[in-house]
Formats: sequence, C-alpha cells, structure tokens
Amino acid sequence: MRLIHKTKAILGVAFFNTFLVAGAMAAPPDAIAGKAKAQMCFACHGENGLSAAKDIPNLAAQPPLSITYQLIQFRGEQRKGGGMEAITQALSDQDMRNIAAYFSALPPPPAQSGNADKIANGQQIAGTQYCNSCHGSQLQGQKHIARLAGQSPEYLMTQLKAIRSGSRIDMDGTMGSAARGLSDEDIESLAAYATSLP
Amino acid sequence: MKLKAIYSLMFAMGMALTTLATAQAPAVPAIPPTWAQGRTADGMNPSLAPNPPGIAATPADEIAVSKLKVPAGFKIELWASGMPNGRSMTESPSGTVFVGTRFTGNVYAVVTKDGKREVKTIAKGLHRPNGVAFANGSLYVAELSRIIRYDNIEQNLDNPPAPVVVFDALPKDEPHGWKFMTLSPDGKYLYFQIGTPANIVVPPYTHAAIVRLNLKTNILEYVATGVRNSVGMDFQKGTKELWFTNNGRDWADENLPNDTLNRLARPKGMNFGFPFCHQGDFLDPEFGKGRSCDEFDKPEMKLGAHVAALGMRFYNGNMFPAEYKGNIFIAEHGSWNKTKKSGYQVVRVVLDAKNKPVKLEPFITGWLDGENFWGRPVDVQMLKDGSMLVSDDETGAIFRVTYGK
Repeated sequence: MRLIHKTKAILGVAFFNTFLVAGAMAAPPDAIAGKAKAQMCFACHGENGLSAAKDIPNLAAQPPLSITYQLIQFRGEQRKGGGMEAITQALSDQDMRNIAAYFSALPPPPAQSGNADKIANGQQIAGTQYCNSCHGSQLQGQKHIARLAGQSPEYLMTQLKAIRSGSRIDMDGTMGSAARGLSDEDIESLAAYATSLP
Repeated sequence: MKLKAIYSLMFAMGMALTTLATAQAPAVPAIPPTWAQGRTADGMNPSLAPNPPGIAATPADEIAVSKLKVPAGFKIELWASGMPNGRSMTESPSGTVFVGTRFTGNVYAVVTKDGKREVKTIAKGLHRPNGVAFANGSLYVAELSRIIRYDNIEQNLDNPPAPVVVFDALPKDEPHGWKFMTLSPDGKYLYFQIGTPANIVVPPYTHAAIVRLNLKTNILEYVATGVRNSVGMDFQKGTKELWFTNNGRDWADENLPNDTLNRLARPKGMNFGFPFCHQGDFLDPEFGKGRSCDEFDKPEMKLGAHVAALGMRFYNGNMFPAEYKGNIFIAEHGSWNKTKKSGYQVVRVVLDAKNKPVKLEPFITGWLDGENFWGRPVDVQMLKDGSMLVSDDETGAIFRVTYGK
C-alpha cells in the first residue's frame, strides 16, 4: 500500500512560510529503521545530525525530500564528493527515505553568531538573489530544497563555489543562474547570514 | 479583495525581510528563478511553488495502477517500470519503445520478448535528454542544446555506440530548454520546440518557437513563433498538419490563461502570440498593453489553466472503438501554480467532420488523490497494435491502455 502524505500549507503570521511534504512516496518512511541504517553516516554527519567537520553538512532538520534527492543523485553519480558516491551504492530508495526521515526529525542546528556587517550584507544579497523564493523566508528549506539555516558556513561556501563553476550538478539550472553573478565575498556573506539563522 | 490583500501583505513583508538593508548590491543583479518570474505583490497566492521533480522509480509492486480509472470497456495495466523520470516516448518499427528523461540524464529502451518487457538503460549522463525520435534505424535524442544520434541502436541495445552529434548550435538556456521532438511524416525533418527562457518575458527571436531540422542538409528553420513552450506534438494522418500543445504563462491568474491545443495551418509564419496574447483572446496584463489578440493566430482549443498539457498524439489505431479514431489524447502533467490542483490526467479531444475540436473529456484519471498526486502523466504513445502507452515521470513507469478482451 502506498502512503500519500498530506500536503499542508501553513501560512505564517508575519511572513509566508510554506511547509510542504511531497506528494508521492512509496512505503511510509521509517525513522527507526532509518536510524539503524544511518549508523554508517554518524561518524561524519553525527548521530544528532550535526557534522564532525566544517566541510561536512549538518543534516539535522533538513527537509526529508532534500536528503533523499541528494542521496539519489550521489548514488547515480550525478553529484560527487566526500566519497558519498561509493557509500550510497548499496542503499535502496526505501533506505534513503528512512535515513531522511531520521535526520529530518532531529532538532535544527543552533544559529551561529558572526560578523554583523557580513551577516547584514548576506541578508541583503539573499534578497536580491531571490534565495528565499525556494529556500524559504528563514532559509529553512522546503520540499526537495535544502535547509541553509544553521548550516556550516565552510560547507555552504564550498558548495556555492562548486555550483558557480559548474562542478556540482545543478538539477534544473536555477542554482547555476543564481550563483553565477556572486563574488567570493558575496558567497562569504551569504554563508555568514545563513549560518546565523535558527 | 480580501484574500488578495492578505497575499499582498505576505508578499510585501517577505520581500521587506529580504531587502531591508540597502547597502551595496552584488556585482550582477539576479533575476528571479524562472518559475517565480512574473509573480507580483498584488497577484496570486505567493506560497505556490513548483512540485519537486520525480527522480526515482517507484517499485512495481507499489505502483497503484488499480487507482487509475478508464472508460467502460477499456483496461489499464502497468506495462513497464524502473525508469527514473521516464518521459517522452517513441516506438521503432520493430516495436522497441525508447524513453527520454529530463532530470536523470538517462535514455531507456523497453523491449518485449515472449510477452515480457525488459528495460535497458541505453544512455546515461546526457543533459536533459527529453526528446526521442526514431528514423532509419537510428535513435535521435534531443538534449537541452543539441541533437545526437545513436546508429544501429536496436542491434546494440546492450552495448550502445557512442552518439553522433547531429546539431549542437541550440540555445543553452535551462528554463524550458528541454525538448519534445518528433519526426515529420516524410521522414525528412525533426520538429522540436525552443521554449521561452522565463515565465513571461519578451523572448529573444531564437526562443518561444517551434523549429525543424532538415536531416539531409542540417539546416534549422523556424516554423512557428509566439509559442511559449510546447512539450507535445504530432502530425495528423491525412492532412499531415502538425498539431501541438502549448503551456500558458504562470502568475497571471489561477484560472487564466489556458494551456492550448494548436494546429499549424500554414507550414511557416504562424505566430501564436506569446508573450503579448495568450490562448488567442487573453491579452497579457503586462506585455499586452497596446497590443491586440487579432494580431496573432488562434489556438484550436483551450485545455484549462495550469494543467500542464504535455504529450499529445492522434489515435489512428484499430483497437479502440470506431468513435475514437482520429481523436487526440493529451497527457496533463498537472498544476502547481493553482491552489486547487488540476490536470494529472489523460484527456480525450474529439474532432468533428470539419476537423474542429468539439469535445474535451477525461480519459484516464486517478493519479490525483484529493490534493496529493502519486503520479504525473507526461506523454502518450500509440503502439502498432492499437493500444496506448502513458508515461509517468513521478513513478518512472509506463502504463498501457487496451480495449476489449
């Protein structure tokens, strides 16, 4: 039997926040089975979804579909990096949904303080670059779009630069066009802003 | 209007949050993501956003084919599965069905042996290989910005040859850059579209058009302009005229403009109005100023707003009842820019004796369950035995509709 998730659109009080759980999924994702399967993830990504190193992303509170999509693209070798292509080869789609269910349910990474000017600049760039259109008003992510809030700034900078250069897969061209005009300083400011968000 | 005022407030506050500081702008001012381009503060529900694309295949035993409904006397079955993001289809003379993709970069071949189907991935790592057409023993694939060809493909499905690049001078814009491609009845031309590079803009003269590539001379010609994005076309038997679907713009209204069904009544020079006039009689709220819909060619039929009318084919087979002969079937991928979902079905269009579309009705429904979808039809393909295939890029599967027995 197929479980159809309820799609809920919750309009925020002050800002529009949309939390959407994707329409179609196969068997119900099982966070407990996911935790068991995710043992091999913990050494780098942490049991609490907070990573052990700056170049490794925090997975806690990522939208589940965002985690699943990245795992699928690593397995298909469309996205590369961190040895994830090899690690994902043995995972089934259901394993990926379960792992995603586990990490997405964890408390989000704590906001990190930083240089106030950089953060303000980053916020301004996020507005002119329309980051919020897809990543959400608080960069919390939605559907298959990654959460950036509280993410490791070093990881964000590496990824934005990889997208800008074309070395990281760009699923539908949106991120490529968003990143193309960014300078290294812009990217640094954006990362400082994203990581400062709860 | 109260609802609009609330949307407007939400939009304004969302923008205010992001544009509060007015220090220095980044070097290159950005344009919004394609799908959000044209969204206005006093417009529609700003929380609408595109559906995540289907990039995984649902296991065969979890595909809810029993939920699909067809008219009495017809049957629908799961025909093939395991093709992540499988979209446009074409059948070779010997019965191999080739399937293109948009997001996974794969091309699949489905072969039937002793009544059993086998799915082979014949190409990987292509860039949006959405269009497929078969001619002279070769499979032509339309990627985002080039047309490539796999020669003697059917003899080499397990070890496909490296592709030959046929034409690589197409625009590289990602938005609406994936192609639907079909072979002309005389076998001389490949027809495909070059979509608009954003939701609603005055496109470069190279875009928002249907073109054809002469396979002998390799010359590209424009056959129609003002076509926002057509992801389905077919030549009518007898008249040999090209009919095609066209997707209407977003963010104007939840119920306007319609996606359309169109006919290429003249082989060259028709202009269907984008971005000035949509659906033949709806002037664009922004770009329509000072223009008239009378300047442009009209569609044959309105199909509904935001339904995402994609693949379409004429039914010329002998399996379905006589009244289905010459009908058009259209796959509706389903809406995102609409609060209440619509589409997510295959519809039937009936033409009268004067070749005018007179009736539009659902033919296959059931992918939509309330406001949730479990599948999304992309293309329809008639097989030589008179049955009809429907591809679904959410489940990575193909369904087959038969009549009788």
